[in-house]
Amino acid sequence: MKKNFLEIITMNGQASIQDLGRLNAQHLGFSASGAADEFAFLSANKLITNKLSIKPVHNITKINNKLGNDAAIEITLGQISFKASAACTIAITGADCQAKINNVTVNNWQCHQLHAGDIIAFAMPKTQLHSYLSILGGFTCQTAQQPWLGSLAQTVNEMALGFTGEALMVGSKLYFSTQNQPLAEATPAQTTQLESLKANRPTTAPDLFYPKQKLTLRIMPSRLFLQMSSAQQQQFLATEYVISPNSNRMGYRLHVKPSQTSSPDKKILTQQLRSQCLLSMPVTYGMVQFPDNEQPIILMKERQTMGGYPVLGTVMQTDLFRLSQMRPGGEVAFTLITHPQAQQQLRTFYQKLY
Amino acid sequence: MMSNNRERINTKVSNSTEHGVNFTIDLVAENALLLSWQAKISLTQHNEIIALQAMITQQLGELIIETVASYHCLMVYYCPQLNSSLQVIEKINSVAKNASHKHSNGDDQDNNPNNKLAHQAAHEHCIKIPVYYDREQEWDLADVAKRCNMSMDEVIKQHSAHTYHGYALGFTPGFCYLASLPESLQLPRKSSPRIKVPKGAVAIAEQQSAIYPIESPGGWHIIGQTPLPMYESHHGQFNASIQVGQNVQFYAISKAEFLALEQGLVE
Repeated sequence: MKKNFLEIITMNGQASIQDLGRLNAQHLGFSASGAADEFAFLSANKLITNKLSIKPVHNITKINNKLGNDAAIEITLGQISFKASAACTIAITGADCQAKINNVTVNNWQCHQLHAGDIIAFAMPKTQLHSYLSILGGFTCQTAQQPWLGSLAQTVNEMALGFTGEALMVGSKLYFSTQNQPLAEATPAQTTQLESLKANRPTTAPDLFYPKQKLTLRIMPSRLFLQMSSAQQQQFLATEYVISPNSNRMGYRLHVKPSQTSSPDKKILTQQLRSQCLLSMPVTYGMVQFPDNEQPIILMKERQTMGGYPVLGTVMQTDLFRLSQMRPGGEVAFTLITHPQAQQQLRTFYQKLY
Repeated sequence: MMSNNRERINTKVSNSTEHGVNFTIDLVAENALLLSWQAKISLTQHNEIIALQAMITQQLGELIIETVASYHCLMVYYCPQLNSSLQVIEKINSVAKNASHKHSNGDDQDNNPNNKLAHQAAHEHCIKIPVYYDREQEWDLADVAKRCNMSMDEVIKQHSAHTYHGYALGFTPGFCYLASLPESLQLPRKSSPRIKVPKGAVAIAEQQSAIYPIESPGGWHIIGQTPLPMYESHHGQFNASIQVGQNVQFYAISKAEFLALEQGLVE
């Protein structure tokens, strides 16, 4: 029976269903998509399942079937409220939206119990962008839909295809799995379980994960970058950038910080090197594209699969999760990292959060 | 300081040309390798890329999450929690060496009679796409004719006389990059992209032609529209109508035929 759901009753921002995405459908032209901030997304799932699984994942199908990858609602800039049709246990993480259950403020980065008829409301967060709402047992989404090509993640540019349900709006019902008995109704043992869920804390304190102000993005340089002169490389690494308002889940556009705009004849990428990069090629998460105007574009979760601009390198994934929570006006710069170092960071990250 | 860094940071891991393999491998992300061939549009090279893609998918199975091919590159995604990059690279190199060994045990690709047969077969399976080349100037046909210094009839004739090859799927699901457009029709992309390009729009830009599978933004010049769907899906599968490696021809139809076909397909 698909009777139990959260219904959106007010909405003034953006929200979508996200999991770890469909990396395996890019050869068909589908965006990989997925949760913008995997730290907050995986923390929400981990808080609610409290499953400590550090077993290696074999392939994307298995990643997608893992408990830690249950679809959550990604809320961007808060301003949304839900009504529960039945008792359920939820976790909330990410940007702090001063969430209230029936007008009582509750803690972020924690599990909570909702009863039938309860309303949970998210305000506009003071800092950061994306918040996550996960539910014990996982969402089966709008009409108990099946995952599309291994994932429930929604992609703005692909909604017209109709494979991942409707865009979320007031009235959308987000069904949840009833396999897990809601903890509220309530043998003593289960009540104890809820209390222990509530006591769950993120394995890494969010304050330690996110940057306080400026973020230095660690990039693995591309072959093109290594062909640049040492002076040009230094010029790029010394430049301070500001996040443009024209940034979203697809890509982050950067502008050179106005105070230090250099003379226009001092190009970072020579025409000669640029002319090697005319053919479209497959692109991936975190690639730093460098169009003619030399204002970098960092490819994020909802990126397209192919790109035609020169690429200077790839920002390591754990820094992309941090970047995804930064707003326009935020300041970033780049520094180099080796591939093994970046890979080690990601491995450690997943060991903590799966 | 910087020069030290540069050496440590170098991500070039393999320059395989000396083994008779024509690509380089770069570690471009924690979970992705990029194989790059010469930056050119070449049928022979592309056939080599998609043949290697098929072999990697077949032989490396669970090691690999996904492969994405384009004109001169192959992106390979793997699971870094399970396999070291070096293991994956070694295996890819050994697959490629075996493949090139088979090729070089005789003659080069273009003289190989088997290859010729394969090419012929591909030509026989050419997909024919009906296009209503829109003369009512709603889109860009007249503008393209003007900029290419020819009549609209000539644009239609040249665009439909040519056989194209599918080099990559991307941009949106089912959007297949087709090349090469006759030189006389090559124009840079529009300086500002359209916010809405209709479903089925047949468009050109630079050396390429393509069909927009769904309404989306787009910066190419629209010269016509096809009533054929560019994908189908059932039982949770998605099939692009034009696959990478397939050949495509366009043929002109009238507006009446376009409407009839479109309605026939709707019913």
